[in-house]
Amino acid sequence: MTVPDDVTRLLAERFGLESGDPITVSRDRVVELGGALKEAGFTYLVYVACAHYPATDAEPDRTVAEYRVRRLPVDEVAFRVWVPTGESTPTLVPVFAGCDWQEREQFDLVGTIFAGHPDLRRIMLPEDWEGHPLRRDYDIATRHHPWR
Amino acid sequence: MAVDESGQAFTHPLYNVMAQLPGVSLGLTTADQLLTWGASNSLFVFPMATSCCGIEFMAAACGRFDLDQMGTIARGTPRQCDVMVIAGTITVKMAPRVKKLWDQMPEPKWAIAMGSCAISGDFYRDIYSVVPGVDTFMPVDVYVPGCPPNPDQLFAGMRRLQEKIRMRRNGEWTEPELRPETFGFKSPNLPRIGDPRREASLDEAQLDAVINLDPGGGLRRPDPKGSL
Ligand code: SF4
Repeated sequence: MTVPDDVTRLLAERFGLESGDPITVSRDRVVELGGALKEAGFTYLVYVACAHYPATDAEPDRTVAEYRVRRLPVDEVAFRVWVPTGESTPTLVPVFAGCDWQEREQFDLVGTIFAGHPDLRRIMLPEDWEGHPLRRDYDIATRHHPWR
Repeated sequence: MAVDESGQAFTHPLYNVMAQLPGVSLGLTTADQLLTWGASNSLFVFPMATSCCGIEFMAAACGRFDLDQMGTIARGTPRQCDVMVIAGTITVKMAPRVKKLWDQMPEPKWAIAMGSCAISGDFYRDIYSVVPGVDTFMPVDVYVPGCPPNPDQLFAGMRRLQEKIRMRRNGEWTEPELRPETFGFKSPNLPRIGDPRREASLDEAQLDAVINLDPGGGLRRPDPKGSL
């Protein structure tokens, strides 16, 4: 989906970022970008999605968090942040309240840590689960005594 | 000869004395047959419907097929039910809840595993969160295969259960039913209920997990790793 012109202008003037789908933003400016987009009319959060990328020669072990927001009826913008494993990214709950459970889900399954989240607990897996199953290094045959 | 809940044959001491009296044995047999007939024809079901098989169960319960015609009325509480129909994939998080509901059902009770997910975990069985078959933590009387089984197959399963109840009450059925071993599991192969290789410690651990389940969600035991 093409990025609307006013968003391209906003990104260039205020953030010095290239527009794209998705926009890549650094961790220290993601909350600011979310706020600016919300002011520009993108009030509807479509999803928060994370994925794990194992370490390569060029990059450390890291996860990516992608947020997609929508200005009704048609405009959509996605922006993503890269989070090295063991570090955290600021939460967007103060900007988009709908992030709350979605960020919990991503923490539960992928293990991305959202700093400042009001209630970062597991949401889907049992409370005593170990590890984050959607990481590439997760062993599929992990036992969960006494049920499997 | 009568059969108790665990399937063992037993005879009450008074039975032999009473059976000598004229007409009593005829009356007892008739009463027993009447009870068996009643039990097998008024199976209230508890639909443990967790995914797509649940939809098929609903289709079976609705007008076109009408499960009610055989006295199987669905109730929303385990305390009023005789049969639990497990229709759907059971995850590791759901398993203690299912077992808790099963334990709350009054005896005598039966269970039907509907669909490959409830039987063996189906193609989800190697996924990190899916229990490879509900018979790893609760006894199952009838397996209804299919993905999903259509309502006719569920009806056949209910008929099979009725037949089995009558046979058990008449002492014609004593051995527990074990489903065939499933090969090619990557996931841990837990011994099933009734399997001689099953250790008592597994039963205890499962019971312990059920008892420590907090109704408000979460575990009563403190989290060993702390939060996060
Ligand atoms: S057996 Fe098939 S239809 Fe039934 S719950 Fe599993 S996947 Fe769904």
